[in-house]
Amino acid sequence: MTSSTTTPPPKAAAPQSGSTKGRSPRSPQERSNERFAWSLVLPAVVVVALFFLFPVGYAGWLSLTDAQQLRPDATSFVGVENYGTLLTDPQFLAALGRTAYFTAITVVVGVGIALGLAILLTQEFRGRTVARVLLLVPWAVPPVVNGIMWKYIFDPSWGVANAILRGLGIIDENIAWLGTGELALNAIILAEVWKLLPFVTLILIAAMQSIPKSRYKAAAIDGAHAWSRFRHITLPGIRYALLFGLITQTMWSIKVFDSIYVLTQGGPARGTTTLNYFGYLQTFSYLDVGYGAAAAFLVMLLVFGLTMLYVRVLRRTEKVEA
Amino acid sequence: MSHQWESLAAVRRSGLTRRSVLGMASTAAAGGLGALATAGCASPRGPREISILDDNTNLVFSEGLIDQFEKQTGIRVANYQMANFNGLHDRLATLFAARDDSVDVVMTWAGWSAEFGAAGWLEPLDESMLDGVTPSARDCVSWGGQLYGVPKFVSVQTMFYDKRAFAAVGLDPAKPPATWPEFVAAARKLSTGGRYGFACDMGNVDGAYQNFLRTLLLFGGTMYDGAGQPAFHSTAGIKALTALRDLYRRDKVMLPASLQLTNASDLATVFANRQVAMVFNWPFQWGEVKKNAAKMNPADVGIATLPGAAVPTASIDGSEGYAINRFSQRKAAAMEWLRFVKTEQVQRQIVTKEGWLPVNETLMKNPAAARALPVIPVYQRQSRYQVRRFGAPWYSKFTDELSANVTNVMLGQLEPAEALNTAARNGAAIISRVRGTR
Repeated sequence: MTSSTTTPPPKAAAPQSGSTKGRSPRSPQERSNERFAWSLVLPAVVVVALFFLFPVGYAGWLSLTDAQQLRPDATSFVGVENYGTLLTDPQFLAALGRTAYFTAITVVVGVGIALGLAILLTQEFRGRTVARVLLLVPWAVPPVVNGIMWKYIFDPSWGVANAILRGLGIIDENIAWLGTGELALNAIILAEVWKLLPFVTLILIAAMQSIPKSRYKAAAIDGAHAWSRFRHITLPGIRYALLFGLITQTMWSIKVFDSIYVLTQGGPARGTTTLNYFGYLQTFSYLDVGYGAAAAFLVMLLVFGLTMLYVRVLRRTEKVEA
Repeated sequence: MSHQWESLAAVRRSGLTRRSVLGMASTAAAGGLGALATAGCASPRGPREISILDDNTNLVFSEGLIDQFEKQTGIRVANYQMANFNGLHDRLATLFAARDDSVDVVMTWAGWSAEFGAAGWLEPLDESMLDGVTPSARDCVSWGGQLYGVPKFVSVQTMFYDKRAFAAVGLDPAKPPATWPEFVAAARKLSTGGRYGFACDMGNVDGAYQNFLRTLLLFGGTMYDGAGQPAFHSTAGIKALTALRDLYRRDKVMLPASLQLTNASDLATVFANRQVAMVFNWPFQWGEVKKNAAKMNPADVGIATLPGAAVPTASIDGSEGYAINRFSQRKAAAMEWLRFVKTEQVQRQIVTKEGWLPVNETLMKNPAAARALPVIPVYQRQSRYQVRRFGAPWYSKFTDELSANVTNVMLGQLEPAEALNTAARNGAAIISRVRGTR
């Protein structure tokens, strides 16, 4: 009994001989459809434009100026000077090296442990469900709380890390875990791996569960060993999930901020200042906005470039498979 | 049923369809989002309401003083936030850069009054605001002769020592070390049985900077020359940094965790826990011992002026105050808060409950205050000599540069002369960049 105002489905646009520039004129209905579609996506476009495109564009503009919050009225256009300075700045280059080390270790160790955990947690054993729930704990902890927790663990006077090592007789004197750049950077890597572990483990578990069990049974009947089964069944079955894990871990590691902010604030002696934190310091601590924006832009380009590289690898794998 | 058909017919006549209504709503939402983002969120507070952004040093305000202020002035403190000191600078900088008026009163100190004042982010104040305030507290709220705030407490470092530990190793508890060589000798003797003679909080930028600055002053050096250029790489500076390094690396009398301690509270705790026998700390150290009396009897705490090397003594300033956000819409009400803070009523609580020195001159001379806080008479002796912080518009980046080099010396990665020369060279470039003379 209800009246319907349903719009008829749009007709397929037929090529017309009189059309110019190879495009056929659209019917009023098609134009109406298009307007309607645009009106529906408009709020999303506005949000993206306001909260992503505008800030990125503005940061891009700032990176081409010598803007300093301490002299806001004396800003002038300097072109790519900030980028040139960055690429010869020993502090920036040191931060780049630290970021590379941090990312490589975090990704390799993190994904490696996640793979091991995923294999373990897809086996049948008593308490598997509890173990899977416990796996989520690091993910449930807010990042800043995670940082504070590790700060207590690494406390040089009453931290758990020293207490355990002293209890086991491994050390006689407490270690200042965050007292030197090298130790502190590795301590932050540990905190980051712990925090990021659940995500990769979960996607790997999901991928492993999608592999038909019949393949393992067939391989076992054929006498394949555990390593062979892993190498020829498990690994090919989870490669996309693994690649996705590598991409996300790499991006997150390059952009690491919260753990550094809470644990060391980039110290001691800048020993834990990675690229992202370097950009933060320039902008918010030293108020050197133009220079900080240039650093942030380089981080963005780096993440974008690496992501593109991963995507190409993924596509190549797909082509080889096809 | 006929009513429904009539309604639908009316809708059709008006040209409205579900689709067009949805489209219009969506467009309106987009417009609303845009307007909201560009207009920002206007603060709904009235002229007799203020918002305060403080550090987490003082609890007395949230524990009663705000109520008293509201009753006395009729001004409501709509929002009082306490933020961690180590993250407050960046938060304030973001607030000011955005010309945010949601906070009216901000905490400030020597390091930031210069930086934020010179940037035009703090409301300049008339000198009459300091009537009744002890002159030594002026530095923390002013820069270049201009006043930007009112101090809320005075803080100067003095020496705190464990009398019982002194007696245990044969040192006279009534005769604390008065010179640097005496201090080093005492620290060596006191470093025994798992206890260290000395500790400091060098685990972050400000910590490394202030520990070097204090030693620099004790060795007769200074931070800047007459032209405002770095002067810490002088002979006195190199001797000072060498002395600091030797405590840690050669004599091993400094708590190894010193390079990881990031604030004075942690330093106060290691002293109150008897892990170290001597610290150079802020006045609240006394209060920390009193709070932690189960571990250390307050009667065991000795307080003395800092041991000088090339001068009898010297110290650093850590006083804090309040300033008014230049973009605040409620400056008159904010001014009332600044006037309230320096009153004897507030200052007495800061002295007795928290152990900071009063900014109120009358209270500073009051014998009852000295009995409540034994640091006061020592401060009066200490403040006869140089007490500095060297706040400047380039403070943040400059201190980062110097601190990184100082820490590298402490870690044995650089020699003092090399580190200070590098810091001076880079420091001069930072000053030029901020001054716009690059």
